[in-house]
Amino acid sequence: MGEPSTTPSPLLQVHGVSKRFGQTEALNDVSLTLHGGEVLCIVGENGAGKSTLIKVLSGAIAPDAGSVQVGEAVYESLTPAEAMELGLATIYQEVELIDSLTVAANIFLGQEPTQRIPFLVDARVQNARAREILDTLHIDINERLLVEQLSAAQKQTLQIVKALHQESSILIMDEPTSSLGLEETRALMGLVRRLRERNLGIIYISHHLEEVFEIGDTVMILKDGRHVGTYPCGEVNSDFVVRKMVGRDASAFFSREPAPIGDVAFRADSVTWNGIVRDVSFDVRKGEVFGIGGLVGSGRSELASILYGAARPDTGRIVLGNRELSLRSPADAIEQGVCLVTEDRHVYGMFPERSIQENVAVVHNEFTPCRVVGTRSEAALADSMIDKLRIATFGRGQSIMNLSGGNQQKVMIARWLLDEYRLYIFDEPTKGVDVGAKQEIYALIVDAARNGKCVIMISSDMPELLSMSDRIGVMREGRMVRVFDNDSDLNEQELIRYFMGEEENNGDHEAHTEHQ
Amino acid sequence: MTTKLTQNTNKIKTVVTALARNQWFFVLVVLIVVSVFTHSMNPRFFRLTNILNVLERISVLGIVAAGATILIVSGNFDISVGANLGLSACVMAILIRMGYSSEVAVALGILSAIGANLVVGASSVLFRAPSFITSLACISVFQGTALAITGAQFQTIYGRFEVLGATRLFGVIPLVFIVCLVVYVAVFVMLYYTLLGRRVHAIGSNPKAAYLAGINVNANKLIFFAINGLLVGIAAALFLSRVGSASATTGQGMEIRAIGSAVIGGAVMTGGKGSVLGTFLGALLMGVIGNSLNLLRVSPYFQDVSFGVVLLLALGVTSFSHAKERRGTTG
Ligand SMILES: Nc1ncnc2c1ncn2[C@@H]1O[C@H](COP(=O)(O)OP(=O)(O)OP(=O)(O)O)[C@@H](O)[C@H]1O
Ligand SMILES: [Mg+2]
Repeated sequence: MGEPSTTPSPLLQVHGVSKRFGQTEALNDVSLTLHGGEVLCIVGENGAGKSTLIKVLSGAIAPDAGSVQVGEAVYESLTPAEAMELGLATIYQEVELIDSLTVAANIFLGQEPTQRIPFLVDARVQNARAREILDTLHIDINERLLVEQLSAAQKQTLQIVKALHQESSILIMDEPTSSLGLEETRALMGLVRRLRERNLGIIYISHHLEEVFEIGDTVMILKDGRHVGTYPCGEVNSDFVVRKMVGRDASAFFSREPAPIGDVAFRADSVTWNGIVRDVSFDVRKGEVFGIGGLVGSGRSELASILYGAARPDTGRIVLGNRELSLRSPADAIEQGVCLVTEDRHVYGMFPERSIQENVAVVHNEFTPCRVVGTRSEAALADSMIDKLRIATFGRGQSIMNLSGGNQQKVMIARWLLDEYRLYIFDEPTKGVDVGAKQEIYALIVDAARNGKCVIMISSDMPELLSMSDRIGVMREGRMVRVFDNDSDLNEQELIRYFMGEEENNGDHEAHTEHQ
Repeated sequence: MTTKLTQNTNKIKTVVTALARNQWFFVLVVLIVVSVFTHSMNPRFFRLTNILNVLERISVLGIVAAGATILIVSGNFDISVGANLGLSACVMAILIRMGYSSEVAVALGILSAIGANLVVGASSVLFRAPSFITSLACISVFQGTALAITGAQFQTIYGRFEVLGATRLFGVIPLVFIVCLVVYVAVFVMLYYTLLGRRVHAIGSNPKAAYLAGINVNANKLIFFAINGLLVGIAAALFLSRVGSASATTGQGMEIRAIGSAVIGGAVMTGGKGSVLGTFLGALLMGVIGNSLNLLRVSPYFQDVSFGVVLLLALGVTSFSHAKERRGTTG
């Protein structure tokens, strides 16, 4: 396969790949070229075909037409084993690690060093070598920990390490940061940069354009399965990319309409749970969007599940309207007018085998007195949501598993738009959602606020948090350490310092650190 | 011209793949092939009496398989249905021998089946254990109970309870088969047109998400098991009336055939998906194959072999069509 490091010949080429699923043309004559030491970012709306392209490269699906060229060899389609052998490593969203083994054992899985006694794994050598590998990448994970003890971000990093250890020359990442918090995202960016220096070819998919411009060398734009163009990141700006992606002018930043703010309608008083949520108190007024920021693991999602009745607080009171809520289950919460868009749709939201219609109507069916389903009115409700949220599908009967990630998220939100609620909790509402659809989801959130509802929005997306929230509560280690009024003085850096707990060290100086 | 041609072939392809994705269609094809083959070897096959005989023979299994479908789609397994059916039949037979009217006996027998199934479901809910395991444990409980109450004796009731088993509508159609059909229509409506059916699918597909969507997962699980118990009880009554006796070994092996029929019909073992029509055709296929082997004078031992082979084939088809879906349709 030549020496890619010295010759300028590309590592990977894709020639005119097409793929059709039923009526959907997921890819239509798409080509790309990737060189060593290049970070190629692929952007596009939900359903543009990004993941499909990746699946062609990883061997998960066979294209209908076109070919993949790695070095000199040309393939009509790849199998996963072939792809791996050719040095194409794909980091999927769903982590493919073995929870009950240590970090080191996972890295060496399948090629364990067996030194002195044949067939016996030499754990000491394995650990030492794993440490070496982790050190050269400046990764601070204890090689002896079990994978189940790692955070989501660490698992993601470990997958990358594993891929590198297998001497992959091309690393493919599909929305790697969508489940990561701020700090983890930064660490990942750093890792990607170091890998680029080692002359790996990297394909990076993300809906976050700031990430694209931070680490990308080239940006490739897909729209409706077609290749719109590939540009050097230095020569284009984000407005240009968004316009090419969406096909119309859409700002990457959302400026929301203000909603009239009324009286306090929701209050949490010293809510404590299991050492993970500690003594959290805050209130939300009618028409207000209360943002909650913090690092992953700061107890934000746990707080949400308490407010939604999925966990019972050890102590504390929750008041909605002028009644104290004592929620025994999510069903209770829904009846009291509380709804929640969960953080991880795959685990907590979707019924993967079922249709869009069933996924949308599930709550509505459960809480209306009618026991008959599958009727025309249910179909009409599903269709209206498909229209309203512009869900890319060929029909309400399509199974939700076959939708693109962003469109699945829209279905999750649609579930709560069939009825009215008093308190809307959104946990990472725009996870995996493209810029255009983000705006639509923001508009829906603002709509709820303007209708006088209380909105709690947990988000790791800083621009989102800052542009949407009226107030922002910062959670750290289970506590709500501070609530900010979201005025022009508040900036990203300052918030992040609170997330990390650095404000205690340089408390007085925070106002002066304007420079990056 | 050429584009039109490709368009047409494309259309045919989509129709074929759409049908192939419905496993019941595949089962139907096999059913027809087996029937035509048997008929060519022995023309007695397509005689009305033979057909009715087959339908009558699959009715009990069919009803149990309908219940198994509900449970599998909801993500549960009950492998104690055979033992439960035996126990329920024994209860009915003993009560009839004691002089109770057959209505009372059947009602109490059905109640016993529902109760027994609730034990399986409740223990699964209570101990947070998979129902596969709790039902495994319950097999010996039910069988032991049946042995104890029958004193390990056959309970024969010849001539005392034949209404269900012997009645023929219009002098031809066996009543048991009518009951079976009614059960299937009811289960079909329940699964696809009622809230309860949606819950079956939702819980089977993703129980955590179902809970967070406000569904009471545990209570519904008990309801599913109660319905399954009801169907087992009905099947037990039909069986007893047809056969005229019951013992502790009655119903043995029924669970494998029932779950097998559901799987052959396309129910997914991980839950969330299944087809009542497929299950019916699966049970019918079992009956037809058994009948064919009889008509072709093949040793009855091969019936079990053939059942296993068909089950393996069905699993093969399922995994093949899934793999194809994953790799995408080529060409
Ligand atoms: N297995 C499948 N069956 C049917 N349609 C599919 C399947 N997989 C993908 N599609 C369709 O192909 C199109 C492209 O999907 P893909 O997942 O590649 O989008 P994406 O660009 O990754 O979007 P997102 O940003 O939302 O992740 C979508 O319209 C999707 O519904
Ligand atoms: Mg995708």
